[in-house]
Amino acid sequence: MLCNSRNSLILAIIIAMKLENEDALDRYVICRKCHTLHEEIPIRDGTKACCSECGGVLYKYDSRLAEHGLALSVSGLILFILANIFPLVQIEILGHEQFITIPKTILSLFESGFYLVGLICAFLIFVFPLMIFLIYSILFVLLKLKRGEKTIKELLVLLSRILPWSMSDIFFVSILVALVKLIGYAQIHIGVSFWALIGFVVLDLYITKNLHIYEIWMLRKRTFFKERKNDRD
Amino acid sequence: MIEIDEKKLIRCPVCEAVNIDKGTDSSCRRCGCTIYRHQKFTTQKSWAYLVTAIVAYIPANLYPMLITKQFGSGESSTILGGIVMLWEHGSYPIAMVIFVASIVIPVLKFLILIYLLVSVKYPLGKDKKINKHKMYFLTEAVGPWSMIDVFVVAILAALIHLANIQIIAGTAATAFALSVFFTLLAAHAFDERLIEGRI
Repeated sequence: MLCNSRNSLILAIIIAMKLENEDALDRYVICRKCHTLHEEIPIRDGTKACCSECGGVLYKYDSRLAEHGLALSVSGLILFILANIFPLVQIEILGHEQFITIPKTILSLFESGFYLVGLICAFLIFVFPLMIFLIYSILFVLLKLKRGEKTIKELLVLLSRILPWSMSDIFFVSILVALVKLIGYAQIHIGVSFWALIGFVVLDLYITKNLHIYEIWMLRKRTFFKERKNDRD
Repeated sequence: MIEIDEKKLIRCPVCEAVNIDKGTDSSCRRCGCTIYRHQKFTTQKSWAYLVTAIVAYIPANLYPMLITKQFGSGESSTILGGIVMLWEHGSYPIAMVIFVASIVIPVLKFLILIYLLVSVKYPLGKDKKINKHKMYFLTEAVGPWSMIDVFVVAILAALIHLANIQIIAGTAATAFALSVFFTLLAAHAFDERLIEGRI
């Protein structure tokens, strides 16, 4: 087994099944890597369930998911703003100084006539990351307030549509590659935004890889299921 | 009570809920999204995006990616030329990164997608134990990394903008960005149910 966490559980595979209605399908989960069907079982707080075939993580359980998620996404937003208003790197060539910020990188593409690349880059490294963190923040606030079941659904659908198109991590690696290319030609000074971007990328990776949308759907179900039960009582 | 075969269960591509495959117009019971709308032309859409991407990849390799203007004289380099130059200058890691990101990953993605699309129609490699779901997952995971070169060019062009020395992005940047964009679309348009031959 690839997943060697002591807390992880291997789930059994089911072959034939009987269901009471379609909603009972919520008890099952299909591995997103290898498409093996598993039955969902309750696991302890802070642990994860892994696929018995390929070892990929199926789901996690975190009883304070909304709080953790909110904290992470708001810090992500702050870092994103910092990363965008201060200079990323500053270089010095032959006495000339030049600095870039993220918006300036995109704008300079437009200025030199690369409208298509500029547009693609603007969405990949600015619009989508910003949207993702805004949506995450709104989602967790709504979940915390236990309101807006329908809005949450629509936001989650929108979120999973744009998640694969956010590339701030790739942009960060590109900055490193560009800087290494420049070593020897110019003096490089790292700006404030560079450090903010590191923080943002780390949070972005943590949120998109660890705090999977599947768990937010489960949290939504738990939250509003309890609510309805309370209403009936 | 509904009795159901395990083979009839599918995963919603948007919210990952388990659904019963109802054939042509399945919509997810949780998020309401249509689970693959293009049933009538199962692979055509993916093929179309893939061919566009491959066509865009040709000018991306032939035209210059970077144009360096130094004291009036211009010098341009293609993707491969840039990699060779980096290698000769001794920056092997960077040359490797760019080589993997802009040559290996796109070509590998084309090949995997072609293989997946062909194997839907013809039983290629059915006896071999290849998990096509894992292959598909891999292409989805590594695909976006080929954007590195475009971003690097954008950063350099924005950064080196002095009176005497200028770096300008070349035509290949547009072609390459489009190529990556269309390969991502092709991978998204591919219906995962086709892997098991359920349609």
